[in-house]
Amino acid sequence: MAASLPAFVGRRRPDWDALKGLLARQRAGTLRLEELRTLDVLYRRAAADLAHAQTFHAGTDVHRFLNQLCAQAYAAIYQPPRERWAATLAFFRHELPRTLRANGAFVATSAGLFFLGILLGAAVVLLEPRGAELLVPRNLREYVARGEMWTDGILSVAPPNAVASAIATNNLTVTIVTFASGLLLGLGTVFVMINNGVHLGSVAALCAREGMGPKLLDFIAAHGPVELSIIVIAGGAGLMVGQSLIDPGELPRSQALVLRGREAVKLVLGCAPFLALIAGVEGFVSPGDFFPTWVKALLGLALGVLFWGYLLGAGHPTPTPTPTSGTGNLPHVDPL
Amino acid sequence: MSTPASPRLDVATPERVSLSLPVAGIGYRCLAYLADLLLLFFFWVVAYFLFTLLVSDVLGFFQELSGLARTLLVVGVFATQWVYWTACEVLMEGQTPGKRLVGIRVVRVDGSPVGVLECAVRNLVRLVDALPFFYAVGCLSVLLTRQHRRLGDFLAGTLLVREERIDLDKYAATAATPAAPLPLPASAQRLASRDVELVLSFLARAPWLEPAARTRLGARLVERYGGLDEADRAALLASPGRVEAFLRTCVQAER
Repeated sequence: MAASLPAFVGRRRPDWDALKGLLARQRAGTLRLEELRTLDVLYRRAAADLAHAQTFHAGTDVHRFLNQLCAQAYAAIYQPPRERWAATLAFFRHELPRTLRANGAFVATSAGLFFLGILLGAAVVLLEPRGAELLVPRNLREYVARGEMWTDGILSVAPPNAVASAIATNNLTVTIVTFASGLLLGLGTVFVMINNGVHLGSVAALCAREGMGPKLLDFIAAHGPVELSIIVIAGGAGLMVGQSLIDPGELPRSQALVLRGREAVKLVLGCAPFLALIAGVEGFVSPGDFFPTWVKALLGLALGVLFWGYLLGAGHPTPTPTPTSGTGNLPHVDPL
Repeated sequence: MSTPASPRLDVATPERVSLSLPVAGIGYRCLAYLADLLLLFFFWVVAYFLFTLLVSDVLGFFQELSGLARTLLVVGVFATQWVYWTACEVLMEGQTPGKRLVGIRVVRVDGSPVGVLECAVRNLVRLVDALPFFYAVGCLSVLLTRQHRRLGDFLAGTLLVREERIDLDKYAATAATPAAPLPLPASAQRLASRDVELVLSFLARAPWLEPAARTRLGARLVERYGGLDEADRAALLASPGRVEAFLRTCVQAER
């Protein structure tokens, strides 16, 4: 038998207020164990009240209020497990390399697009001398015409740590755009990869033609291998996102996107620390002639081998399943 | 059952009740964004003055530090682009200061709170949603999708729900009863909860209504739910205070 609305509210309201108070203390992190049990009991009662309100008082403010209250309690009780240092460590030791290997085809495709761009850019500039006017930005062309590297000036206007952080954020932006534009059905990523390739190829070809090849090599050698690898990996992640939109398989598009996107994002976020590291190299080592070319080349080669050795070698033989972070939705109350 | 005006997020809990939360539309999102933007703007004003102080270097004291200042500037740009949003959403349980002000929250599509990964992703994709200008892609996506999600929300599997401030006091409030005895409401008909809600929302708003509208609406409610004969009703309608007191007793009759 349905009680009238004011009677229902009057009778049940103390419980709701108590639950609200407990939730506020849970958020503040001052909850004791016995209070946790009370929270659970009160949540169940509120859920029953919500069911009652749904049936007899649908569309009223009480119904809305209980919806909100139960949602808050639900959020507090069914929290995702907190990510901790151990999970982060496990991510870099096992999960990142594994994810990369599992999606090697996408990364390879992305690398293919990039090389295609390089070949295109280089071919245009080498075969048709005026192609450079089309592909290479004007200020770069002026530098090359004067026979100096545009990167030489960097250190005289700004200290190396500022250069490094500027480069780091710029590279991060490029990486994010490369990945995120995959949401435009993957076409964005395809465009960005080919475009970057064309840019690099045409500049390299122009430098080579003007006899500045060694200088360009001197600048790129130390950081190029890792930096370009990371862009290629981000491109692979973008292609994964695009593929989930074009060919979602059995799932609805939105779910396929979330599922595949999660994997792809792991690749991008996993690359972030390496990006910061390589920006340091690019800011401190690459410009100027403080280090001889062979040192830079050796460093670049070593870093590249280490990076890919880690990605292809780490996290192989452990048969124990690693816990996936954040996907489990087990009842888990964290009073802290 | 009335159809809700705004789209809702339905969650089936393990307790076998279904939660139904209102989804925040483009208006709420824009408002929250503007509030956050204002905050960041003030941050940049302060940063600008600090920076000019460091660079102009009146005392010659900061010469050593200017390299550090430049680093901070570059890092600051990046921070306002991405770190601010992500850190706020992680630490404030799916809210930024702007979102808290407006009363909206980021949750996963199943209604559970967001984790670090979701926050990171939806804010990474901000760059694409902001294409080509003024968040055009994001706005289109919000307007065209059923649950008002932008691309970043799709990739992260999140959406924004609204938090309403609901005052339950209106159900319990008892006004000072006037001295004159009120006619008893005809207790034969019980009010449905929808009707109770209607009367209560009238009573809650009555003090702020135009006097003419207040009397007119009160009279119509008495006619509809009072169930009185002509004489009683005429006596009642003489003063608005008595009308509302009567309506209150109607609603509270069954306690």
